[in-house]
Amino acid sequence: MAEIAVESEIAGTVWKLERSPGDNVEEEDSLMILESMKMEIPVLDPDAGKLVAIHVAEGDTVREGQVLATLELE
Amino acid sequence: MAMAFEDKLDELRRREERAREMGGPEKLANRAAAGQLNARERIDHLLDKGSFRESGLLATSVPPEDRATTPADGKVSGFGRIDDRRVAVVSNDLTVKGASSAATNAKKIAYLKDKATRAGMPIVFLGESSGARIPDVMDAESMAQGGSDPQQYCRRRETPWASAVLGPCFGSSTWYACLSDFVVMRKGAVLAVSSARVTSLAIGETVDPEELDGWRLHSDVTGMADAVAETDEEALDMVRCFLSYLPSHAGEAPPRLPAPEHGPDGEALLDLVPDARGRVYDMRKVIAQIVDGDSFFPLKPRFGKAAITGLARLGGESVGIVATNPMILVGALDPAACRKVTSFLALCDSFHVPIVILVDTPGFLVGVEGERRAAPAQIMNMMHALQLCSVPKISVILRKSYGQAFLNLGGGRNSDEIAAWPSADVSFMDPQIGVSVVLGLRREDDPEKFDAACEQFSRGTSAYDMAGVFGVQSVIDPRDTRSYLCAALDTHRAAANNGLGRRDMAAWPTYF
Repeated sequence: MAEIAVESEIAGTVWKLERSPGDNVEEEDSLMILESMKMEIPVLDPDAGKLVAIHVAEGDTVREGQVLATLELE
Repeated sequence: MAMAFEDKLDELRRREERAREMGGPEKLANRAAAGQLNARERIDHLLDKGSFRESGLLATSVPPEDRATTPADGKVSGFGRIDDRRVAVVSNDLTVKGASSAATNAKKIAYLKDKATRAGMPIVFLGESSGARIPDVMDAESMAQGGSDPQQYCRRRETPWASAVLGPCFGSSTWYACLSDFVVMRKGAVLAVSSARVTSLAIGETVDPEELDGWRLHSDVTGMADAVAETDEEALDMVRCFLSYLPSHAGEAPPRLPAPEHGPDGEALLDLVPDARGRVYDMRKVIAQIVDGDSFFPLKPRFGKAAITGLARLGGESVGIVATNPMILVGALDPAACRKVTSFLALCDSFHVPIVILVDTPGFLVGVEGERRAAPAQIMNMMHALQLCSVPKISVILRKSYGQAFLNLGGGRNSDEIAAWPSADVSFMDPQIGVSVVLGLRREDDPEKFDAACEQFSRGTSAYDMAGVFGVQSVIDPRDTRSYLCAALDTHRAAANNGLGRRDMAAWPTYF
């Protein structure tokens, strides 16, 4: 199955992980919440599938375009 | 009946039957097995039952050796009705020489475009074509002939155009999709200049077809697809739905449906939009609580997602919704979002659809990536577009509206009327960033001083401060947003010229 990378659209800090590797996710599920510009910003899953890996931990700083998670498409 | 005529009628029937067989039973069966409609089935699904009047059924390819095997020359065309309103349609028949473009079918399309434009009806392109017909075009004479219409690819939006990309689209189908006001792409279809095979041969490297031309590329990255469908039928239904919001031609206002008896009551709006400044929410849910029933028809929902654009109805009237979505990038507009809004404004202005703007944005997304994508030029393109638009524009500020984005989203005199929710917050930038810029102060350096400065920078930014200087015309109860918008649209509808605008954006490119 095809795998796709979920990238951060914004620079910020990982505030809270909301899903774990192995989880089945639906399009637009919130995978984690980033903190940037004094706002809590959800990272939304781009497609339905299975979360293969999460590449960041809570408290990590992330840059724009950084790969946050890997998703295996349904 | 005279014997001679009977023979002639037999011949006519025989030729018509042969033309309707398209590329033959085997190719048609393969398509059916793959769950794809053929060119004629697509027309039948798109149009009102029995309304198709074909034009050019007996046309064929020019070379004598191809005439028997090129029914309709691979492009089925004609006129019909959608919801009892006239449309013209071209359906590419991939089973006939890959629906490749050649002399006769080029004449058919030129004829259809000319007649549809003159009569005032939308044109629908059902795309699936392999490109120019080789070897027919492999000489100077055919190249010169093919370029004989100096307006062939010039859009003035006299009537709406919609394209469904339903299979491999190269050449003609791709060009007309790019020129259309609406493009829906079926998953599995492709849209590119030329096929992966041709491209690989031309540039001498292997090309991954999905990367070159798939639905994900065009819905998420290029924004060339306005919508994505799972099946042919769903794509065709979306074309019907898109056209339902628009007039048949630019000389009339959009059709108006009876106002629904009940709209959403708006009570949910108070829960949907959090009071806490640091919390985000999904503006699409807000839109659903304002417009008629399920009338919201999003365009480019997977592209430039910090902005939302789509057609909808308010009290039965077609409106174009432009909104920021705090759920995505906190609603900060990036270059893609600006381009998406600009192209949507061109659509609304060209076809007399009033614009409703829902605002909650910290401004434009700043950063290196944005500058690399010409963010300043896209911001000014959007501003230019908004100021060219002569349809009524009403904006509502829900929470934040900061900086230049305040103007780009209808602030100042860039809307005919502006309302603020009591939660509105209008300023040049977020007070915390303002403090850092002006005083060179970070909170961790001196929290007490920082907080005091923030408090000072947060003054004078409320809905009432805006209302006091007539920066907004009203402060409204969020629950009344729908009724406010219906009334404001009624106020600002131009009485002169039957409500038609100047259409200054009619020749704006469909993609830029």
